[in-house]
Amino acid sequence: MLKVKDLQKKFGNLRALDGVSIEVEADSVVGLIGPNGSGKSTLFNVVSGFYEKDGGEVYFKGERIDGLTPDAIAKKGLCRTFQIAKAPERLTVLENMLLAAEGQVAENPISALFARRRIARVERKNLEKAMDLLEILKLTELMNEYAGDLSGGQKKLLSLGRVFMRNPDMILLDEPTAGVNPTLTTQLIKVIRELQKKEHKSVLIIEHSMKVISSICDKVFVLNYGQVIAEGTPEEIQKNDKVLEAYLGGV
Amino acid sequence: MTIVNFLIYFLIMVGIYALLAMSLNLQVGYAGLINFGQVVFFCIGAYTSSLLATKTGLPLLFCFLLAMIVSGFFGYVMSIPTKSLKSDYWAIATLAAAEVFRLVALNEGWLTGGPFGVMSIPQPLRFLFSMENYPLFYLFLVTLCVIIVFFALALITDSPFGRDLKAIREEEDLCLSLGKNTRKLKLEAMVVGGMVGGLAGALFAHYVTFISPENFWPIETFLLWAMIIVGGRGNHAGAILGAALIQIFNVSTRFIGEYVSLGSDSMASLRMVIIGFLIIIFVSYRPEGIIKEKKKVYDPRNIR
Amino acid sequence: MEIVQIIINSLIRASELSLLALGLTMVFDILKFANFAHTDYALLGAFLAYSFSQALGLPLIVSVMIAAGLTGLFGIGIDKVLYKRLRTIGVQPVSLMIVSMGVEIALRNILRLIWSSETKTYPIAVVKPLEILGARITMLQLEIITVGFLSMVAFHILLHKTTFGKALRAISDNRALASACAIDSEKMIRWMWFIASAYGVIGGTMIAMEHVLYPRLGFNILIPVFCAAILGGIGNPYGAVLGALILAFAENVVLALDLKWLLNLGGLFHFESIQINTGYKPAVSFLILILVLLFKPTGLLRKE
Ligand SMILES: Nc1ncnc2c1ncn2[C@@H]1O[C@H](COP(=O)(O)OP(=O)(O)O)[C@@H](O)[C@H]1O
Ligand SMILES: [Mg+2]
Repeated sequence: MLKVKDLQKKFGNLRALDGVSIEVEADSVVGLIGPNGSGKSTLFNVVSGFYEKDGGEVYFKGERIDGLTPDAIAKKGLCRTFQIAKAPERLTVLENMLLAAEGQVAENPISALFARRRIARVERKNLEKAMDLLEILKLTELMNEYAGDLSGGQKKLLSLGRVFMRNPDMILLDEPTAGVNPTLTTQLIKVIRELQKKEHKSVLIIEHSMKVISSICDKVFVLNYGQVIAEGTPEEIQKNDKVLEAYLGGV
Repeated sequence: MTIVNFLIYFLIMVGIYALLAMSLNLQVGYAGLINFGQVVFFCIGAYTSSLLATKTGLPLLFCFLLAMIVSGFFGYVMSIPTKSLKSDYWAIATLAAAEVFRLVALNEGWLTGGPFGVMSIPQPLRFLFSMENYPLFYLFLVTLCVIIVFFALALITDSPFGRDLKAIREEEDLCLSLGKNTRKLKLEAMVVGGMVGGLAGALFAHYVTFISPENFWPIETFLLWAMIIVGGRGNHAGAILGAALIQIFNVSTRFIGEYVSLGSDSMASLRMVIIGFLIIIFVSYRPEGIIKEKKKVYDPRNIR
Repeated sequence: MEIVQIIINSLIRASELSLLALGLTMVFDILKFANFAHTDYALLGAFLAYSFSQALGLPLIVSVMIAAGLTGLFGIGIDKVLYKRLRTIGVQPVSLMIVSMGVEIALRNILRLIWSSETKTYPIAVVKPLEILGARITMLQLEIITVGFLSMVAFHILLHKTTFGKALRAISDNRALASACAIDSEKMIRWMWFIASAYGVIGGTMIAMEHVLYPRLGFNILIPVFCAAILGGIGNPYGAVLGALILAFAENVVLALDLKWLLNLGGLFHFESIQINTGYKPAVSFLILILVLLFKPTGLLRKE
């Protein structure tokens, strides 16, 4: 599904990504772990087109996507969330969900003027879907609140909700559970896993909690100083000496 | 001038500025595009329509339409660098672009009449009305335009397109990550804004029948900014209210000026000092303006 | 025009512009907003200097020094009343830019209210210009170039040899880190306003001495100053000087160019002489600004 080959990214003298190669198979959940500052978010930013790469290749569904703009990459069905959840301040939670919905009527002034009926029909359908998702995310109560008034954790939930509205083939999640309370985290993991089982989505997830990783990931990559230092199943990774050293020795 | 005549003149000007303010509000209040060169649309609309009318004798309806098209096209041109420029830089560029146009109008005398401007601009359907009644007809025309534009913009912004614009205003990266072509969306906002601004320019030119570069100083842009800041950004009623309030302020100070012993130059300065303070105070202490942007509330019972 | 004359005129213009661009680039870099009122601060100082020398009969150089100091305090005062509060409540830099627009309008018109729009000239004895290689240069112009150069050297020393300069550069690189290193950012910001405003006064007064002093002058030089700062690269004081030099030469060369060779290419036309209309002189900086923003918005010199 997603194949990253020898990706390079430099910030001045800092090699944030130093030849990263990873592969995510279709219909699988893959974890990405590593100490803070190891380049995980940078990898997401380069893959999703927000940063320019300094070398290497990125393939999505067999197609080369590096060099495309972020919106073009998203349109191909690769959708990401941000580590610091983004939420347009003066759009309500529900509007945030609708904003992300797939298959909206052409979003331009001409259709806005002349395709009112079609817009209303599609909006209605999206509203129903949005309400279902908000229910799962426990955000129904807040549907008419401005997203700017949500807590950090709630914004994280909302970003997940938006991604589900968007319904891409592959999702990149940057620390989706950071700041979300434990019960909800369990719920979230369930949602992600169900979604993956039912709709056969691929997921690449950055996560710090080993518990979360072992409960949903088929495979894990470990990043340190911009390099992949280990890969394998969650069990293998937990036993890997290099990984332990990266987490403990690096401090 | 009698009171009634003056009132009609005043309302026509409020209408024209309301159009300009609604156009600016679409760009600033919805799409978050800090346009400091809004007067350029006014200028292009006024010159396009009046030059076509006086030089080619084209029917006025076409002059108006072409004014909107040319001005909308310039909105497109202005939107090109929004992709690569931070908003401060873009704001400075728009201010410079508007001044370039005024300088062209001032220096290309063969086309624009230079400092003397364009004179004897024909008025639409002038022959149908007497001298006294014509302003009333023009007021009707302007009001009609304001109403049509108001509802058209309301439809445009109360749609997925309008929602996208607001999202761009606040989190452009998020929009990109959701696959929205933000460059195209901003472009469309600028084109619509340009067309409305061009319409206002044409309405102005054919009303006053004489335009010159003097009408298009950058200060016009900042009056419009004061209007949307005071009235309230992100809603069209706020733009109209702001246009009315600032115009009332302008006129009333002119009347007051006749009773206090300040020279007209000092009075004009004082007026602008107050406009400046209004901008400062509102942005600092009531950034949402008088009419707050409306929150779109859904009733859960109506959804299922 | 003779080449030597072009060089001299450009150096004069560059001295003036770079003193103004220095402050603009500092504020833009540290506080992340384009201060539209920057050149109006400078004009406030220029008017104060005028009044001190006229009313109090102080020597001009003393008047300028006092005026620069007072305007520096004025810059700090405005920051204290307006910008500091907005910074602390964490509004977007764009709002600060809009507030500065309000300050620009208010301040320019306050100047007009106090000193009227009539043009003023400084009491400078007219002496016969010197002749250098066939070019004419007045004593005043020589002084302007010298003062400009000395101010620049002083700025360099300030930035590299004083704790203020080091702290300022630290803040510019990373505000959070700087405050972690116990640098009092707010104090540094106050100093920055003082220096930015005071330097602007020297530049502004020099421009007014060369030509005449009137309230709109500040707004008229705003775009050229922005142009110099952005062309050089925001945040780099040496860039501001380089930008001012390039812009000054461009302004003087473009208008001196005879374009007949261009149009007579291929022998199709036979123009005697084609020169760009001097009415477009202001447009040179507008166009350079727009081109820079389109093709190299980061400017020529990177931030050090
Ligand atoms: N935009 C940027 N500019 C400069 N350095 C950056 C930028 N983004 C990330 N970095 C640096 O790159 C390294 C990797 O950061 P990041 O990918 O955010 O780490 P992680 O997500 O694994 O915690 C860090 O040292 C960080 O400081
Ligand atoms: Mg990260």
